[in-house]
Amino acid sequence: MKLARFAFALCLGWPALLAAQMLNPSLLLKPPTDAWPTYNGDYSGRRFSTLSQINQSNIKNLNLAWIYRANPGETPGAKVGGEGPAPVAGQTAGNPFGVSIKSTPLMVDGVLYFTTPDNTWAVDARTGTELWHYFWRTRGGIHIGNRGVGMYGNWLYFETPDNYLVSLDAKTGKERWHKEIADVKQEYFSTPAPIVVGNHVIVGTGGDSLDVPGFLESHDPETGDLQWKWWSEPLKKGDEGSESWPDENSMRHGGGMTWVPGTYDPELKLYYIGTGNPNPVMAGQSRRGDDLFTCSIVALDIETGKMKWYFQTSPHDTHDWDAAQTPVLFDGMIDGKPRKLLAQANRNGYFFVLDRVTGKNIVSYPFLETMNWSKGVDANGRPIPNEAKEPQIPGVLVSPPSGGAANWPPPSFDPETGLFYVGTSASYSVFYLTDTDPHPEGYGATERSSGGLGNTLRAIDYKTGKTVWRHDFPGGGTAGLLTTAGHLLFAGDGSQHLVVFDPATGKILWHCGLGGNVANGPETYILDGKQYLVVGAGDSLYAFTLAQ
Amino acid sequence: MEVVKPARAALVFLCGALFYGASCLLWPQSPPNKPAKQFAGAGGDYKEYDPATLERGKRTYTANCAFCHGGNAKGGESGPDLLRSITVLHDENGELIGKVVLNGRPDKGMPKFNFTPEQITDIAAFLHDGVRAAAERGTYKILNVLVGDPKAGETYFNGAGGCTSCHSVSGDLAHVGAKYDAVNLQQKIVMPREGRERPTDKALAVTATVTLPSGEVVSGILNHLDDFSISIIDQHGDRRSFSRDGDTPKIELHDPMKGHTELLKRYTDADIHNLTAYLVTLK
Repeated sequence: MKLARFAFALCLGWPALLAAQMLNPSLLLKPPTDAWPTYNGDYSGRRFSTLSQINQSNIKNLNLAWIYRANPGETPGAKVGGEGPAPVAGQTAGNPFGVSIKSTPLMVDGVLYFTTPDNTWAVDARTGTELWHYFWRTRGGIHIGNRGVGMYGNWLYFETPDNYLVSLDAKTGKERWHKEIADVKQEYFSTPAPIVVGNHVIVGTGGDSLDVPGFLESHDPETGDLQWKWWSEPLKKGDEGSESWPDENSMRHGGGMTWVPGTYDPELKLYYIGTGNPNPVMAGQSRRGDDLFTCSIVALDIETGKMKWYFQTSPHDTHDWDAAQTPVLFDGMIDGKPRKLLAQANRNGYFFVLDRVTGKNIVSYPFLETMNWSKGVDANGRPIPNEAKEPQIPGVLVSPPSGGAANWPPPSFDPETGLFYVGTSASYSVFYLTDTDPHPEGYGATERSSGGLGNTLRAIDYKTGKTVWRHDFPGGGTAGLLTTAGHLLFAGDGSQHLVVFDPATGKILWHCGLGGNVANGPETYILDGKQYLVVGAGDSLYAFTLAQ
Repeated sequence: MEVVKPARAALVFLCGALFYGASCLLWPQSPPNKPAKQFAGAGGDYKEYDPATLERGKRTYTANCAFCHGGNAKGGESGPDLLRSITVLHDENGELIGKVVLNGRPDKGMPKFNFTPEQITDIAAFLHDGVRAAAERGTYKILNVLVGDPKAGETYFNGAGGCTSCHSVSGDLAHVGAKYDAVNLQQKIVMPREGRERPTDKALAVTATVTLPSGEVVSGILNHLDDFSISIIDQHGDRRSFSRDGDTPKIELHDPMKGHTELLKRYTDADIHNLTAYLVTLK
């Protein structure tokens, strides 16, 4: 089957790299340079590029090549689909979250493909010229962000806030089909970029407001049919993990959303994803126990969706943390021995390194100095929560707050420095239990932001979890990251700047003011011998190349 | 500088050591606490019902349905949770709920109820409002923060808390217990300012002193600071901005909230509750 498709792909003259993306994923562990064919650039989640045309010696000559300003909504000429009503005038421009390009564009064969909620675009990667725009008429759902598209041959896939998986023809933007993956009336809403592995389109979902179970699905790229579905919780008593819930009702309403794309090891054939928080979100009285497999890093067999191992990062979470942050895959040396590793800077303030073959913990280290909810880690490296820091009626002061020490913006691992880079936030909230019912619903508690100590870009030694260097941003947050073989670390500073650091030292080498905060992870590719750096900020994509 | 009280101005430190919380620290994935109507805090488009409808719905529900489905509709001995019911979640105005109510579910032991169309829409309103109350977290109410010991709060205020280095219960905090309710008072204790830049209460603002290479000194309320520029509002109300190149120009920040930020690392939760219990007595 796979070989047949490979031959078919070659006959059609598809770019070799694209064929490799679909059919020989091991090539994706060597980051492609003339394509960005999947959310993280490759399956590893490292967001490291071997390109070095742009490097420390010439970064001062980085020059704006083009700007593309996205105009979402049912615009003239847009291809329109969807199950919802036609938007009333002005409605689609009225997204309360504003227009923010959180998706990392795919770049295949000279074309960039990216999204905002309900919208997908194709743009010429050389010029920023719009090729087509697709608009989805929505039935609702929280329109907070969308992380982009997946691609298989000529087909694109994206998810909508009202939980449809939509497939488009990449050449024309014409819709092929759409499939509902979750019920918007149950407050599911979907933000992930689908990840294509072989003939699997992997999709997840989100939604915390009404206590629904999380899941990850694999769909057929041709038909959209469901291939397998993995639930974030056991389905019934006796299933693995069911001992960590008081009853079946609590596990069937237990949350564990899969709202950030995962990573994949083609040799092990394992897909890694971090699951979301349990539900009810902040009131734990109806779900006493560890609440498996919420707030966990899990390894799933790509062919069957069966779980091979799990590592829970926040047992019985009550602070809306999750383990959804990108699990980054790389090989490293531990105690003098080469190991296949998985590293994650978790929302709860811990940095974890696991053996990605077995799931066995290697490093658990609190990178956030203000972290105050844990009594340390157990013999298996799992944090031990301090029950006194669960939300209480009169309030408890907790760091990090629900927004987390780290969140979805993509981190980066640079194999040349051996450092893991991540944007972090050191803040506090007071958490108040508001629903004292034995069966709370929804969040069940509220939090009041209490300020804190600011946002920091950290370079973490994966062998210890310790921060080797840090840059404290005086003016705000951090966005997604990219490292390159040009010895460059690309970041955003929360003050509308694209900032380039020396990945070894943290020294600022270059910056540029943009029209908004960097909203996605910067990416790079080479076209016609020219290295491009593309970043989304606010409603626009910005492309940079070296001055001629 | 001009708005900083002398005791607060003593809290001076250099910007290199400065890391702050600000409203912009909230990560963009978390829906805001106060949901906007459309596509924001909760995906569903929850209606607002008039209190009379809800009251009628509650009465009908309590008299007829609560026995099986529980007083709060979250399920009882023999009936399921109705706030998590797929039928209820897909119902708009009683059209799906009504079918179940009028026909019963004989297979599950639920009898028929001969309700009027109005009774059905009333019950539907009551149930939808229960769903909304769970889903819209911006509407959650903090229950009670007054659990602390006022005496212990007073001791902490005058001692370990270090509060008296800036505050006085007969001065700036006189009658503070009459000014705020207990919930807001506790929030003000933990963090009086909503964000570092441009707070609504100028007395809480960070001030900055910028020393230019020429020797000129400019000071005012901090408007914005990043690695590449600083802007301030000077004493005339004018905004002035300066490029930054490393340590040039020299910047000193003065943050009246430094004491509160430091306390975040030291407080116990009991300290906070005790302080609230004490300050609320200052009527």
